Amino acid sequence: MTSSAMAPTPLHMPVKAFYFNTSAHLVRISREKAGTLSEFLQALRECPEGSIFQHSFRTLQEHHFIREGFSNDFAHWALSACNEPSLAEGLASVDVREFTSVAQLRERFVQIVEGFLKRTPAAVNRAAKETFYFCASDIMVIPTSFVAHTLQEFAEGLRGVSVHSIHHHFIEARLRLKLMSNDFSQWLYEDLGLTDAACQLNRIDIYTVTMEDVRKQIIRVVERALS
Amino acid sequence: MEPVESQTRSESAVAESSSRPAETSSASPVRTERRRKPRTWETPPAPVPPPHLDDYKHIVGAAEIDELHFLARELKGKTVKMVNSTAVGGGVAEMLNHLVPLLNEVEVNTHWDVITGGNDFFEVTKAFHNALQGGEYNLTQHARDIFLMNNEQNRQRIQFNEDFIVIHDPQPAPLIRARQESHQRWIWRCHIDLSSPNSEVWGFLRPSVEKYDAAIFSSQSFARQLPIPQYLFYPCIDPLSEKNKDIDDSFVQQVCDEFGIDRSRPIVTQVSRFDRAKDPVGVIQAFKQARKYVDFQLVMAGGGATDDPEGVAVLKEVREAAGDDPDIIILDLPPWCALEINALQRASTIIVQKSVREGFGLTVTEALWKGKPTIAGAVGGIPNQIIHKLTGALVHSVDGCAYQMRYLLTHPDFARQLGQNGREHVKENFLMTTNVRRWLLLLRILQSGAN
Repeated sequence: MTSSAMAPTPLHMPVKAFYFNTSAHLVRISREKAGTLSEFLQALRECPEGSIFQHSFRTLQEHHFIREGFSNDFAHWALSACNEPSLAEGLASVDVREFTSVAQLRERFVQIVEGFLKRTPAAVNRAAKETFYFCASDIMVIPTSFVAHTLQEFAEGLRGVSVHSIHHHFIEARLRLKLMSNDFSQWLYEDLGLTDAACQLNRIDIYTVTMEDVRKQIIRVVERALS
Repeated sequence: MEPVESQTRSESAVAESSSRPAETSSASPVRTERRRKPRTWETPPAPVPPPHLDDYKHIVGAAEIDELHFLARELKGKTVKMVNSTAVGGGVAEMLNHLVPLLNEVEVNTHWDVITGGNDFFEVTKAFHNALQGGEYNLTQHARDIFLMNNEQNRQRIQFNEDFIVIHDPQPAPLIRARQESHQRWIWRCHIDLSSPNSEVWGFLRPSVEKYDAAIFSSQSFARQLPIPQYLFYPCIDPLSEKNKDIDDSFVQQVCDEFGIDRSRPIVTQVSRFDRAKDPVGVIQAFKQARKYVDFQLVMAGGGATDDPEGVAVLKEVREAAGDDPDIIILDLPPWCALEINALQRASTIIVQKSVREGFGLTVTEALWKGKPTIAGAVGGIPNQIIHKLTGALVHSVDGCAYQMRYLLTHPDFARQLGQNGREHVKENFLMTTNVRRWLLLLRILQSGAN
């Protein structure tokens, strides 16, 4: 999202309605598994993109109620099963919002593990306490009953939809949009010309709050724009 | 953003404890009054009718229920047949009793059939069940013949005309031979742990399993390498069942009074059959270690000691380990004491499930749902439920269990946070409504493949 001197449309009169959708995920058990960090690195390189998505974007949704201490499955395994806190810290610091493709995200995880194993050769073949089983997501997008024609209706939709819908539009969206943004910001900017509100949404930190907290923060921004 | 196409319980329940000598019981005035005869029903209570989807709205939210209706829209009029090996008793039948009406409610016409067979068939299937979970077994030609012959009789007896056929567990797996229509989708739902199966029995069953369109397992670690898609469906609990529904605190108090449990002091509880896989003696050892530093009571509530010779032996070991300690309360309950179990779990400060072998561990799910800080063995499906230090505490030993008891009893804020996270984890992943969502999603995915 970039600011623009030319607001596309007048305030509160959107060109297009915002249809709240949600995504339903079914976890598929993949073939790859890892009992050591070297196996983990190989699997990271070879697993389907759906597995990278599942263990980063999707797991964040599954654990949306945790405020701190959980970032993605890879970091959690590095700490709890491999007892490698520095590797875990590196993996946990990967912010999914900085990526607009799963291929880029995979590359980042691979770089972190490669770097760690170069610095810590003793860890390469040490057996983990538990095996890491790679999974993947089958995704289906489904509609909800919420449609916003105005900013007021948009706020009502935000209050009414499930946290899955918030995750779908606010976090997963960047993989669809291929932009460092989200569906809410795009609509506020492109259809309502609310540039500041759109930018404020992109500054919400999803890693230090729950998804319900994220919802509340989004609603606050929208309510400020309404007033 | 554009719209998308809808892509009495019985007298056998006995609270046990030796009475503590008078001079050591002064810390708790209720101790001299405890161990009255507990109130229990003579016979199992009448079954409660299964709930409707709207009944779950106040628990999971209206939006979640609406999403189920949207998900089901494209499946209206489709037919599903579930087949398993028993209509009553056991987790699969209990789950189907709730799932089938809920699928019908969203107009996915679902029928449930149960296979039949003689004693010889069920003896073979029980042996298969144990062998597939790692037990030793010598697979004879006679056992193969009994297994296949009974499956063939069921294949001839049951009609398989539905759009989706779901076969539960290994017993009816060969029914896949009934597949005729190419548009049909066959799903094998495996509820047991296949991580280390007896190779002979698995080798015998595997060709049948590979003919299905998809397989479902309860944990990633339970699955096998197969040439068909494998999905992860966690087992679930029903938040409206007797075991899990909200109950009035006066009932919790009544149950504690009747079982001689002092609610003014911390209570740590393990709810489990008296089975060595649940390590009840290890729990007592952990209690004895931890109690050197913090005062609390231990409740060991279980069953299975009346009809299972091993259960009787384990209960004896538990009693011996408990000795004459009045703060260890051993309850041997009949299987229909769900409300009492619910009350005991809600009365607890901490819940323990120190298993050394486990399936998925639904007693852990029940504990987490009640918002209780939970300590559990890192085995079977338990690590799917307990993320160490986030939704509970995972332990690998008696010492570890004792330490976590001490830590959580003396750090109530942290314990409370674990409990809250644990409840949310169950709400997101392990409730009946999530199970319905997974089934609808799988049917949609397989339907799109069929089309």
